[in-house]
Amino acid sequence: MLLEQLINGITLGSIYAIVALGFTLVFGVLGIINMAHGEIFMFGAFIGVIITSTLGLPLWIAFLAAIIVTGILGYMLERVALRPLRGKQGVSHLAPLISTIGASILLENLSHHLFGAGNHPFRNAFAEISFQIGSITIYLVQILIFVISVILMIVLSYWLLKTKAGKALRATAENIETASILGVNTKRIIILTVVIASAMGGIAGILVGMAFNSVNPQMGLSMGLKGLAIIILGGMGNVRGAMAGGLILGLSETLIVAYGDSGYRDAVAFITIIVILLLRPQGLFGQKTTAAGR
Amino acid sequence: MMLVEIVNPYYLQVGSFILINIILGLSIYVTLSSGQLSLGNAGFMGIGAYTSALLTLNFDVPIIVGVIAGAVVAGLFGILVGIPSLRLQGVYLAIATLGFGEVIRVFFVNWESVTKGAVGISGIPHIGREIFMVLKDAGFDPAIIGLKNNQFVFLTVFFVLLLINILLVWFIFRQQNSRIGRAFAAIKMDEKAAESMGINITYYKVLAFVQGALISGFAGALFAHVMSYISPADFSYHRAVEILIFAVFGGSEVIVGAIFGATFLTLMPEMLRFISEYRYMIYGLILLLMMAFRPQGLIDVQVLHWFQKLRLPKRRAEHGSKNQKHL
Amino acid sequence: MVLKIKSISKNFGGISALTDVSFSIEEGEIFGLIGPNGAGKTTMFNMITNLFPPSSGEITFAGEIITGIKPHLITEKGICRTFQNIRLFPQMSALENVMVGGHSRSKSGVFSSVIRTKAQRNEEARLRGSAIELLELVGLSDGIGTEAENLSYGQQRRLEIARALASKPKLLLLDEPAAGMNETETDDLFDLIKKVQARGITVLIIEHDMPLVMKLCDRILVLNFGKKLAEGTPKDIQNNKAVIEAYLGSEEDEQSA
Ligand SMILES: Nc1ncnc2c1ncn2[C@@H]1O[C@H](COP(=O)(O)OP(=O)(O)OP(=O)(O)O)[C@@H](O)[C@H]1O
Ligand SMILES: [Mg+2]
Repeated sequence: MLLEQLINGITLGSIYAIVALGFTLVFGVLGIINMAHGEIFMFGAFIGVIITSTLGLPLWIAFLAAIIVTGILGYMLERVALRPLRGKQGVSHLAPLISTIGASILLENLSHHLFGAGNHPFRNAFAEISFQIGSITIYLVQILIFVISVILMIVLSYWLLKTKAGKALRATAENIETASILGVNTKRIIILTVVIASAMGGIAGILVGMAFNSVNPQMGLSMGLKGLAIIILGGMGNVRGAMAGGLILGLSETLIVAYGDSGYRDAVAFITIIVILLLRPQGLFGQKTTAAGR
Repeated sequence: MMLVEIVNPYYLQVGSFILINIILGLSIYVTLSSGQLSLGNAGFMGIGAYTSALLTLNFDVPIIVGVIAGAVVAGLFGILVGIPSLRLQGVYLAIATLGFGEVIRVFFVNWESVTKGAVGISGIPHIGREIFMVLKDAGFDPAIIGLKNNQFVFLTVFFVLLLINILLVWFIFRQQNSRIGRAFAAIKMDEKAAESMGINITYYKVLAFVQGALISGFAGALFAHVMSYISPADFSYHRAVEILIFAVFGGSEVIVGAIFGATFLTLMPEMLRFISEYRYMIYGLILLLMMAFRPQGLIDVQVLHWFQKLRLPKRRAEHGSKNQKHL
Repeated sequence: MVLKIKSISKNFGGISALTDVSFSIEEGEIFGLIGPNGAGKTTMFNMITNLFPPSSGEITFAGEIITGIKPHLITEKGICRTFQNIRLFPQMSALENVMVGGHSRSKSGVFSSVIRTKAQRNEEARLRGSAIELLELVGLSDGIGTEAENLSYGQQRRLEIARALASKPKLLLLDEPAAGMNETETDDLFDLIKKVQARGITVLIIEHDMPLVMKLCDRILVLNFGKKLAEGTPKDIQNNKAVIEAYLGSEEDEQSA
């Protein structure tokens, strides 16, 4: 059923978009690719498992807890992996990449020890509730995921465009020195960025738990790589591009599984990365920049 | 009788792992020495391993031919990835190569008719045993030198790898102290300036990248013929990170750094068994701490100078480091 | 005529850094390129060495059009430069920096470098020898083994000149070589550039130190807001009204073309 597949694709794509937004925010402001973002996302998913399945508490508490925990993780990441490298003389641009890779494998293996290696079911009260419209089945969970994602994107866009903090963040992304001269507390903005990005990762974690009903420590890596693929697809640091890229990847993966070879599903993202980087390094929606090199 | 006791297959096995890991560490070192970070070396390693394993198993090719073919095929893939990736700067190259590594792994998993999928390939001809067979046919018996058969096999592997390591270090060392090495270093320090001084940066960046791919493919092929068993999991993202950490921990600016990093990090979980479980957590911590406190790795040029001074207190020439920074 | 610049323009986004600039340099002369900050002088160097391609126009070097040719090939053809904001290889010794400069005049490959063939060893010795000689020329004999980042500012500027000379250029481009130098150092620089000229090398120099420029140059081109304002001998330039006005900072005609 094409229409059903499209709905599946959009559901998946909106989660991808949320993950990618986390990457994009950090890249936009700091110019850093946060390789640990996928693992923070995975922690969010595990918080969801603990709150709903283990403790039997309602879903909204899971969201709240995931936001708090992943926000704190984001703060710690900034303190430990990013701040020490900032403004230090002679540090290569590869250093933050490497230090966040360090954070990512630390977190992944920490969750192995904390939660155990296998798949953890993510129970929720309405997993099986569905509607029949004609010959199409839509699950309540799918609608919920889609609605939450859209709300999140709208709130984020509003916040970036209209609020003072959002404007400060964009100014910092534009040019950190100028922003700091103009009186923006860039240090706080940077922390805020990483914390918000991480909290969005946490929310996405719960959404994925709801969508697939299964959570494991390796999911951070594969989601992280997909997030990377999306921001490369959408243009680094480009908020709209991340949303569009997420939808594109979600749809194409779903269609590959439905009409192609499901084994290659995970390769879609990486092949996308390679093809886009080679054909259009600025991303589908990005603008070509003149390399400054005086 | 003495030799029987000294030659412990377990130690030799660990020693062989160290030597393979050193080759892997050097593979990333070479590429890094031109300022490029490749996270695809696990993928190239896999290409080398599968190429050689399949050739020796399915076509009865001698191991040495298989290993060389593995390295060459990995190198060809290196050209394929390296040339277009040149348009990518620093971080993008790292991600593109990471994506490449994952694509390769996914193919190994899915191309079941050839690669046997996630189960992997077993029964790959073993370097030590093959050499042993050849020698035995020629009438040689390890007992002559006081060794049991399996000891001899492990010892052979170890020495073959040791010889390869020596040759490789020699190669890299000489290349580094030459026009080629200076071009790599110049590109690493300032690409635009290097270009303005007449260095064809395209050529040298591809060269460094392909050398890295070739060396990892070589290491992968050796790995296949030492383990006798390979599976896609051997060439995953975790392997890529492990290779990276050899250079980052030991020191990414000097050859000794990668060698030390590979040796130490292979020995550590073997010596401290309880660490083995936390190995990747420790790797993660190491990467974090190294970037924060010592981004150049444990061993750098200063450390080497310091060692030289210790060893040759008299011959020490005055090093005119004036340290008068202006501006 | 060594270098001929024909109607070069360059836009960065909305800013036009150079507008329709033409001039040519004769063999063996020292040619000055001056103008207020942001006039487009460094951009002109970047056009000549093709670090960026010009938006329009054509550059001819020794009778050959070089626009669009890769920077390393331009060096090979005989143009080499220094940078305004010194761009040495900081962790290399002074000697190695200069040897890198000789890259385009040597050709050992991977194989000969690893095997250390006779030709390679000879080439290495030759590179080293001429590097030492060049370091002597610029007055850096003491600092041969010192890492570039540990040299003083003036020494670094001179090292950049030695590095550029190692590529055996026919045309040397110097971007503010006297910046940050004291009076004695500037005097030494004058002697050095004269010595370079005596070796038959044509020099194109950007400099803000007017006494030095006037003393040194055979001819001068003045840029202002990316446009050619005047061209002539030092004397012409000194007496040129438009030039004096530009330097006194009258900014009436800002970007009005
Ligand atoms: N890579 C670039 N991207 C955008 N604008 C640039 C770039 N390079 C130069 N410009 C702009 O072009 C103009 C000319 O700059 P240029 O560096 O050529 O001036 P200059 O004459 O060398 O000045 P100075 O004496 O300060 O060195 C300036 O407005 C500058 O901001
Ligand atoms: Mg300038």
